[in-house]
Amino acid sequence: MFRDISWRHFDFWLLGAIVLATAFGTTMIRSAVAANEELTPLINRQIYFALAGLVLIFVVAVIDYRYWISLYIPIYIVMGVLLFALFLSAQAVFGAARWFTVGVLFVQPTEFAKIVIILILARYFEKTQDRPRDLRWIAFSLLWVGGLTIWILLQPNLSNVVVIAVIWFILLWLSGLQLKHLFSFVAAGILALGTLVGFSFFRIRIPFLQEYQQERIANFILPDPNATFGATYNVQQALIAIGSGGLFGQGYGHGTQTQLRFLKVRHTDFIFSAISEEFGMVGGILVILILAFIIWRCLRAAQHARDISGSIIAYGVATLIFFQGVVNIGVNMNIVPVSGLPLPFISYGGSGLTSLMLGIGLVESVALRHKSLDF
Amino acid sequence: MSSSSTSRYQTQPWRLWAIYGVVALVLGSLLFRLISLQVFQGTDWLEEAVENYTTIDYLAPSRGIIYDRNGYILAGNIASYSVVITPASLPNSQADIQNIYRNLSKLIDVPATQGTIEEAKLVAECVEGPGIEQLVALGESLAPYRPVKVKCDVDEAVARMVREGSVDWPGVSVLIDPIRDYPTGSLTANVVGFLGPIPAALEEEARAEGFVPNRDKIGYAGVEAALDQVLTGTPGRRTIQVDVAGQELRNLEPPVAPVPGNNLTLTIDTRLQTATEAVLLTEIKAWNDYFGRIRISSGVIIAMNPKTGEILAMVTYPTYENNRMSRFIPAYYYEQLSEDPRRPLLNNAIQAEFPPGSVFKISTATGAINEGVVRLGQEIFAPGQLDLCEKFSPNDPCTPNNTRPFVDWIYESNPEGFGIVDFYRCIAFSSNVCFYKLGGGYEDEIEEGLGIWRLGEYARAIGYGANSGIQLIGEQDGLIPTPQWKRINQGENWSTGDTYIAAVGQGYVLGTPLQVLMSGATIAADGKLMQPTIVREVTDSEGKVVEQWFNPVDFSIWVPEQIEDDRGNISGAWRNVGSDEIADKLPEGTYRISPFTENLKWDTTVDPVIQEYSCDAGYCSLNEDAYKVIQPSSIQAVQTGMRMAVTDPRGTLTRIFSGFPIAVAGKTGTAEYCDDVALQAQRCQFGQWPTHSWTLAYAPFDDPEIIVMAFAYNGGEGASVAGPMVIRTLEAYFEIKAIDIAQSGDG
Repeated sequence: MFRDISWRHFDFWLLGAIVLATAFGTTMIRSAVAANEELTPLINRQIYFALAGLVLIFVVAVIDYRYWISLYIPIYIVMGVLLFALFLSAQAVFGAARWFTVGVLFVQPTEFAKIVIILILARYFEKTQDRPRDLRWIAFSLLWVGGLTIWILLQPNLSNVVVIAVIWFILLWLSGLQLKHLFSFVAAGILALGTLVGFSFFRIRIPFLQEYQQERIANFILPDPNATFGATYNVQQALIAIGSGGLFGQGYGHGTQTQLRFLKVRHTDFIFSAISEEFGMVGGILVILILAFIIWRCLRAAQHARDISGSIIAYGVATLIFFQGVVNIGVNMNIVPVSGLPLPFISYGGSGLTSLMLGIGLVESVALRHKSLDF
Repeated sequence: MSSSSTSRYQTQPWRLWAIYGVVALVLGSLLFRLISLQVFQGTDWLEEAVENYTTIDYLAPSRGIIYDRNGYILAGNIASYSVVITPASLPNSQADIQNIYRNLSKLIDVPATQGTIEEAKLVAECVEGPGIEQLVALGESLAPYRPVKVKCDVDEAVARMVREGSVDWPGVSVLIDPIRDYPTGSLTANVVGFLGPIPAALEEEARAEGFVPNRDKIGYAGVEAALDQVLTGTPGRRTIQVDVAGQELRNLEPPVAPVPGNNLTLTIDTRLQTATEAVLLTEIKAWNDYFGRIRISSGVIIAMNPKTGEILAMVTYPTYENNRMSRFIPAYYYEQLSEDPRRPLLNNAIQAEFPPGSVFKISTATGAINEGVVRLGQEIFAPGQLDLCEKFSPNDPCTPNNTRPFVDWIYESNPEGFGIVDFYRCIAFSSNVCFYKLGGGYEDEIEEGLGIWRLGEYARAIGYGANSGIQLIGEQDGLIPTPQWKRINQGENWSTGDTYIAAVGQGYVLGTPLQVLMSGATIAADGKLMQPTIVREVTDSEGKVVEQWFNPVDFSIWVPEQIEDDRGNISGAWRNVGSDEIADKLPEGTYRISPFTENLKWDTTVDPVIQEYSCDAGYCSLNEDAYKVIQPSSIQAVQTGMRMAVTDPRGTLTRIFSGFPIAVAGKTGTAEYCDDVALQAQRCQFGQWPTHSWTLAYAPFDDPEIIVMAFAYNGGEGASVAGPMVIRTLEAYFEIKAIDIAQSGDG
């Protein structure tokens, strides 16, 4: 499986962009946690994860992605068991559990589940490439995805369910989803969204949704002007942070919103605000451009993949990075309801970073084994 | 096959392009939003960021101290100790924290834990109930760096122990707040007053000046209220940067220190005040004991230097204990005071008006002699009673129906009356019949009486009918009735009878005890009406006397100010201390309160304050723009009459002043009144009227330096009830003076 590797085809541009994003992220985490002594160990943790992640990229790149696809049954079962165990432990503590504690690490299986689902879909769409794109084809893909996603939904972790749904939908689309199905999907989606928003707005409880999630949705649609210190506080502080950054920012370590802790969860969910405050528009645009570049390199790898499963993997990873990035930045700028998705490669978080590095490793593996039209 | 083989390995390009399109669109809108936030709305958000971390802290200035004329403190500031915990400074370990709570709990007697945080939310600061843990937990959730008061107003000893303990208890400290202390308490409460919270109506204004409602206080009564602008000082200001938890990081602007309020020295002599209070209380108690019931419900004694207007003592009964209001105003105490029918919160010396009775004859006498109504040496027949007719218009005939007897006070003991008297003896004997004649005229004997118009002129000239302008709030202006006033307020024409009884200070005439005092003081000071004052001087925090002017209309304080105009010319102007308004001229009526000056309101023998009237057959018409003065000889004649009240064998004050070593002149008053209480007791009828007791006297007669006025509500005869009060106060004054002279002789 290590044969036929030409490092000439390894995407060093993609690797470079990842290194740049991670380094920038770590730098910003350092500034963001500076005001809180208890959080300072996070800087080194993030650096260790980043270094381990880079190693992981090379290791995964070397291994042929088809090898993982061939192991899809054990991978699927292990992942399912992990998610089910997480769901059970959440039941035991009467609340949402997002991670297992392994030694000093908090492992979030959900982050890895997203990569697993990309692999599973890659196998499925390759296997069914000659099948008609009928409802049966769609339904089976949904069954594969749903088998894992149901436990995530029950955690409950709606944001990641949405991420998975988007990945599934985009991959369906790229694999030839019929337009009539698309339109019925869109119609159903709009209906579901409308119900969600409407129910949330009128404070009618919806199963699988936590009360706070519905409140967030309601707050997003119609912010309560009296709720400055309530639900809208964090987003308001994020907007102040971004807006006060101006063109060139307040300077590294000098953003008052970040350093005086007005900005909450500034090393994870709201790191984009911290960047925009301290580095201004220049920093904000840089982040968006790096993300765009990474997404483009993933899409490029997908186009040059030697087989369907390869291109689906790369498309899936691109979608994952794109969607999480856009939602996170959108939350920061108050154009998306608060969701808790991290900013890829930049937000603090070991599991999130590792799983994304894993994804990039897979994309590099696809790029290394590109189709033989290279002259 | 070839087409299917492409589809095997490649996505249809248009599907991919759609994806590219979506990506570009979404990222483009993110960029657009970013730019609009940072570039177009940047300054607004920056302002909000600045507002987030900027806190303005106003520092309370220390309030000026109030002294008496000898430097004795009447109102000072003392420390009130509160035990506080700063949640953010507590140790990390819960065990350590609980240990601190337990140890502290033993010292300050507040349970370490009691109730819930929800219950603690319902309780105001300093109110006992919640445990230490609950108070701290509540404070921590609001602002962890703000000290939480767990026990207010602890003993100094406890405060010291807590401070010693706090070495081992991080987060615990003692906060010192200044509170007002009144060493003389109720003795001077009516003059000094008390403080209270800034009322809601003034909150906005106070905030703008840098005062903090709920922390800073303002005067509610006495000079604490009237001269608040002098005492209050200027708050300091710190603009500081804080983090989200409220921890102070640094000064954003150079801090401005608070300017302490100016100190106030009053003209009150605490020794005389104490003696006078004793006189008033013992006399009232003696009479009430004698009658076996509360007859005299309130009383006033005021002592003043008639030549300077300095009030040396102002005692009112009943009064209140202003120390009980120093930390906060207890609701039960305030209710008790305000529901008391004797109205202890009222300063009866200036805030209540009464019929002056015979002491008002000073006005009538001055007018009658100055207008030539009567000549010195002219004989006036004063029988025990006089039949006079009540005429509502000049042409009313006198018939038995409208004629009734006007009785002299002597009538009961001697129906013959005083017989033939002269002007001096009219005053000395306080003959009502004589004053009826002087006031309203009588047949051929007094062809043209003084009349109500001219009587009013003289009454006003010697201090009646207007606010005195003293530095105390809530002053009443009394009432000098005119025919016009009667038509408007009583719906009836003025009658000749009204004039007769007004001439003896009855009927519609009302005056405050201070106005009565002023009328006597004007005579004592040879016709000079001095501005009564209780302020001796104002000093700054370093003890330097500062120049301050007082406007009695709105209680504003004005100080001289140099101003520079556009061309650089420096000119003098005046600045209102409260509003910072600059004016070229002082407002009308403003007078200097510091450094001390004798403020002359007017000299009746020099300033033409008496408007002229032409009178004929009891009816007077105004001579436009014609004013006259009171002749010094007229004043002298009244002085002689008042002196004879003490020296003539039949004088009203002769008996009680016999043996008094210093030459005194005075006037008594027994004023009939009718109020709700009297009405209920069915005493508002002829021969049954209850009477207020008045006496005023000044000494020494040749060169007066003290005038004392005593008033006893429902006291009865002036000479026997108020008279002794005046004598004993005069004795106290001269005794204190002798001590002072002896001491200065030693030094």
